[in-house]
Amino acid sequence: MASALSRSLRSPRVLIALGMIFCIGFCAAFAGWIAPHDPGDQNLLAILQPPAWADGGDLTYPLGTDSLGRCVLSRLIFGARTAMLVALFASLGAMIIGTILAHISGYFGGAVDWLIGRLVDVWMSFPPVILSLILMVGLGVGLSKVILAVVLVDWTRFCRVLRSEVLIVTRHDYVAAARLLGFSHWQTIVREVLPATMPLLITLISLEMAIAVVVEAILSFIGLGVGPNTPAWGQMIADARQYVYQSPWNLLLPIFAIFLTVTAFNLLGDGLRRTLDVRLAETGR
Amino acid sequence: MTMLALQAKDLVVGARIDGEMVPAIRALSFDLEPGKILGLVGESGAGKSMVGRAIAQLLPAGFAITSGSLLFEGEDLVRMAPGARRALLGRAIAFIPQAPMTSLNPVRTIGAQFDEHLARLGERSRGARRDRAVAMLAAARLPRAAELLTQYPHQLSGGMCQRVLIAMAFSSNPRLVIADEPTTALDVTMHPPILALIADMQRQHGTAVIFITHDLRLAAQLCDQVTVMYAGRAVESGPARAVLSTPAHPYTRCLQLANPSLRAERRALYVMPDQMPSLRQLKNLSGCHFAPRCPLAAEECRRGEPPDTAVAAHHHVACIRAAATRTIAAVAGDSVAAKASERPLLQVEGLQKHYDVGGALFAGARNVAAVKQATFSIAANEFVALVGESGSGKSTIAKMLVGLEQPSAGKILLDGEDLTEPSRRRRARNAASLQMVFQDPQSALNPRRRVASIVTQAMEAGSRHASWDERLARTGELLAEVGLSTDFAARLPGQLSGGQRQRINIARALCTLPKILVADEIVSGLDVSIQAQLLNLLARLRAELGFAMLFISHDLSVVRHLCSRVLVMYGGEIVEAGAVEKVFADPQHAHTRALLSSVPPDEPEAAWPPLQGSAN
Repeated sequence: MASALSRSLRSPRVLIALGMIFCIGFCAAFAGWIAPHDPGDQNLLAILQPPAWADGGDLTYPLGTDSLGRCVLSRLIFGARTAMLVALFASLGAMIIGTILAHISGYFGGAVDWLIGRLVDVWMSFPPVILSLILMVGLGVGLSKVILAVVLVDWTRFCRVLRSEVLIVTRHDYVAAARLLGFSHWQTIVREVLPATMPLLITLISLEMAIAVVVEAILSFIGLGVGPNTPAWGQMIADARQYVYQSPWNLLLPIFAIFLTVTAFNLLGDGLRRTLDVRLAETGR
Repeated sequence: MTMLALQAKDLVVGARIDGEMVPAIRALSFDLEPGKILGLVGESGAGKSMVGRAIAQLLPAGFAITSGSLLFEGEDLVRMAPGARRALLGRAIAFIPQAPMTSLNPVRTIGAQFDEHLARLGERSRGARRDRAVAMLAAARLPRAAELLTQYPHQLSGGMCQRVLIAMAFSSNPRLVIADEPTTALDVTMHPPILALIADMQRQHGTAVIFITHDLRLAAQLCDQVTVMYAGRAVESGPARAVLSTPAHPYTRCLQLANPSLRAERRALYVMPDQMPSLRQLKNLSGCHFAPRCPLAAEECRRGEPPDTAVAAHHHVACIRAAATRTIAAVAGDSVAAKASERPLLQVEGLQKHYDVGGALFAGARNVAAVKQATFSIAANEFVALVGESGSGKSTIAKMLVGLEQPSAGKILLDGEDLTEPSRRRRARNAASLQMVFQDPQSALNPRRRVASIVTQAMEAGSRHASWDERLARTGELLAEVGLSTDFAARLPGQLSGGQRQRINIARALCTLPKILVADEIVSGLDVSIQAQLLNLLARLRAELGFAMLFISHDLSVVRHLCSRVLVMYGGEIVEAGAVEKVFADPQHAHTRALLSSVPPDEPEAAWPPLQGSAN
């Protein structure tokens, strides 16, 4: 595991992705210090200002202002905070539920496996966006509600992919040997099976983060996301949509932010998959 | 003089290791006359399979023929145009593969595959192709050949698949056949008939055969000429019987002494230290490559590679001390414990296991008995063998004994206490008194744990929390017991060889000092010299630690060497049981007789009935 991690830290994909994620994460963590303005402050004398480099631009608002005269740069920076929080907690939550169920299902097999397998089947037969919409309607808006909705929709992804990996690992004789040496089921799963599924788990988390960012943007776009008082990229796109001819930058900038974040997480996931997956690493890709 | 079927002249196959070419086969030369069988004998890593691959020009990535020639009927296969070589392969030169089940396409019928092969050979008429296929399959002694054409490979047994492949190989009337361990993947009872079939077909078609094997005794029975290979070099070559009755190279002699005998007096096995050097190690090795393991090695052996010298007509050896080879001898002594105690430690009564097979949502499940009935007992310090072919229920019994499977019926009594009642207490007790050594050390060792953590894994089970110092101390003891140095404690399983992994596997099972070990085919995948090391280790550990063992195996000579009592399983039932000497001397059940006759005799002059019978 240690050697696999150091190997992955030498992969250019992983390094580039980690650099991008660090920048976005830094903005999210220190949004209050970096942002030139409060994201909610309005300047009604300067609405729909273009970015500083365009005609009529002004360095007070480096990326211009939106239709309510709020600083786009500040809103982007605070939007990163929303996106990163959702990405982090939603993927961790989905990971925890999915991983536990996958290990129980793959390790014990039989009726438990059948039950969990059918639950995942039924769950996955709902279109994910519709399911999260229904959940948001029921739960109400807010950051924690968005996280909960993503967790409840996406745990199945972890469960299904990990279960097959658990099945393969469980078939190894060393798992049976651990049982014979007196390990309890819990000990066997945690000490013998989980370390073997960990590489796949880490890869899945980084891919899930990209998905969570997109889902949060969609929910915010239709106004069922984090709520009107919290800046979010999806919301900015929704606001800018009506003024797209007067001020295209307002629309393009948040889209670009989403694109960057999702690319970074996907790149990280791909890089980790190539370096952590023993089978791929051995065949020399 | 007739033209040779195949002649290798100073063939060198190089492997690229860390950017450097290391010879995997060094200056190999042999002559194969038409209609003769040449045996290439050696342990894994000797380079014997590389010869077959060099002929087919199917060398693995990184390997290449660097010099020398392979003359097939006077034409050099190495320098031949690829098109001309392709025209020979599969026609004049045919192959019999090692794994018959995976060599046939699982989604096409035998008939379709045979037909395709014959069409490639140039037979135009569909009817003629069909007739020829049926005739060839019948010649391969397959019953109902016509019916077989409509069947798929998974409907046939491994032995039948191999017969189909042999029929296909000989259907082109090849002048050279390369058989690479054609019986290794099959059950032992299938070995004699398949070998007899190859010998028969070879005689009928007058084909020259290169027979690649690890079994010296088998090579002596089947082959005319034998070449023994070690670390890429042909160390000894000559007439098969001469090489076996008067081996001139110390390696051949050691190999012979390391193999337990089925019929001769029981003796301690000769143990060569260490293992064959890997290609990476070969890079830095000078002098005779066998010298580090050779009992005769002298200073001069390490200075330069020994030249090929003749010890008799056509009998060559690459050793400067060949004259002393005869003096190598194993220590006399019996490895079977003198007398086990009378009191049974483990009693198994009427053990049964049924599985429900199939059983989809609406289809009824079929009930299949893996173990129909098993009753036996093991005394303290006694080694009992459980033999039988695959699918006879041996492994199922092992799993039920250690508690990995629940029996459908019957009792398992350890010291009078029933083990079939599942309970938490029972499992903890089990862990201390009954342990299992698994067949495949690759799969049985967690690749992420270091050796110290693996062998003392029992000390972290349950609520026990042994300190790391305690565990390291125990690791030292266990490694010493299985004959490994303490340097191994920090290694990962991936850094160990097969034999070392199996030692770790044994050490782990011994950690709690169990009363009974269940060993499932623990030496079957290993080379003869490594197998001898492990068998001697087990005999020594029994004397030191005094455990009993259920030793599951299909190799009767190994069983005879190690165990005092034997249970023969066939179709889920124990069909014969008794003292090893008695059962082997006077087998009652047909299956026991079949198992016994599958082992070739030790003396090359002795007749081996399976091959004799086919001569008529």
